[in-house]
Amino acid sequence: MLRASSQTSGDDVDLTGIVTGGALSWGARGGTPRKNAVETGIVGDKVLLAFVETALDDDAQATAATRNAVIETLGEAAMIDAAAVIAHFQRMVRIADGTGIPLDTSFAVQTADIREELGINDYGRAPQNSG
Amino acid sequence: MDTGFDYSQAGFAIRNDIATAHRAIWHKIGEPGNWWRGAERRAIVREARNARSCSACKQRKASLSPEVACAPHNTSSNLSDAAADAVHRIATDPARLSKHWLESLEADGLSDGHYVELLGVLVAAISIDAFHRALGLPLEPLPKPVPGEPNGYRPPGARDSGAWVPRVQPEDAGEAEADLYPSNAVPNVISAMSLVPDAVRMQQQLGRVHYLPLQSVMTPNDNGGRAISRLQIELLAGRVSSLSQCFY
Repeated sequence: MLRASSQTSGDDVDLTGIVTGGALSWGARGGTPRKNAVETGIVGDKVLLAFVETALDDDAQATAATRNAVIETLGEAAMIDAAAVIAHFQRMVRIADGTGIPLDTSFAVQTADIREELGINDYGRAPQNSG
Repeated sequence: MDTGFDYSQAGFAIRNDIATAHRAIWHKIGEPGNWWRGAERRAIVREARNARSCSACKQRKASLSPEVACAPHNTSSNLSDAAADAVHRIATDPARLSKHWLESLEADGLSDGHYVELLGVLVAAISIDAFHRALGLPLEPLPKPVPGEPNGYRPPGARDSGAWVPRVQPEDAGEAEADLYPSNAVPNVISAMSLVPDAVRMQQQLGRVHYLPLQSVMTPNDNGGRAISRLQIELLAGRVSSLSQCFY
């Protein structure tokens, strides 16, 4: 969906940012994004990626820092909406992984190249690895 | 009148639709479902929270194979061993679940209906708890169980359609499931839990407030009126999926 959104909006987005991330050194770990963080081209990308990473890392202190960074960069309403999206996809990944649903055919075709490029085909529950 | 999820002291202006949905879902979790009593559904939530500190789950997660023999889970409920294992693994190591593992649960007495309902309750609770943790808020007390027995309902249109569990495809949805899908073209993840229709309804109710209304999802630039752009939304989604090693 990120690629579809960027193609529709005309924005030039580097999708490798969703795999490489860019901010695990944020907050309690030093206060700034990693030097080699990928520039995705999306406004606020570093603070948003950092928010995801600290939230999933279950580090309350670091999450407090990244939460504040999102507020400072994008505003409080944006931080709340970001928290909701993070919560949503922690549900969706478990639904997909827990039911063994196949990739939707059209989606598989449309994303074949980017899945290969980003290494998503190497994930454990990818179709060729699933049993 | 449902209570709870009072965000007035949260320190942030949390949207009312989020609070309303959380309250409704929490109440729903406390009710009897198709396969579990309310108290058992509450136990699933308790076990999900407990799994986060389970030493056996940490050991398994660190191992090369999820099949490695580990100590018993640190459980906090009276769920069966199979149900507790399902909760712990889905909560802590979802990317390494397998059809073989699910079949072992069924051999241990956890039916496909029980499993899908457990999954639906579990992921709703994980999601709501994750929202609280991201905002630094205390977790909501466990749902209050509503007395009553599960009704054993199994949708007549449920069939094998390539997933590990039977699903109701849009074209097979009967009158009772007519509200599940907005069209005949829905992604597999929407129909994934349709063996237990209320699991899909809870998923959609939460999805509307946490992510986007379903009609906005398939429109790439529609941000549903959120304070972040669709690009920012999908960046967050992609990063969560990547960190979770989710192929889907």
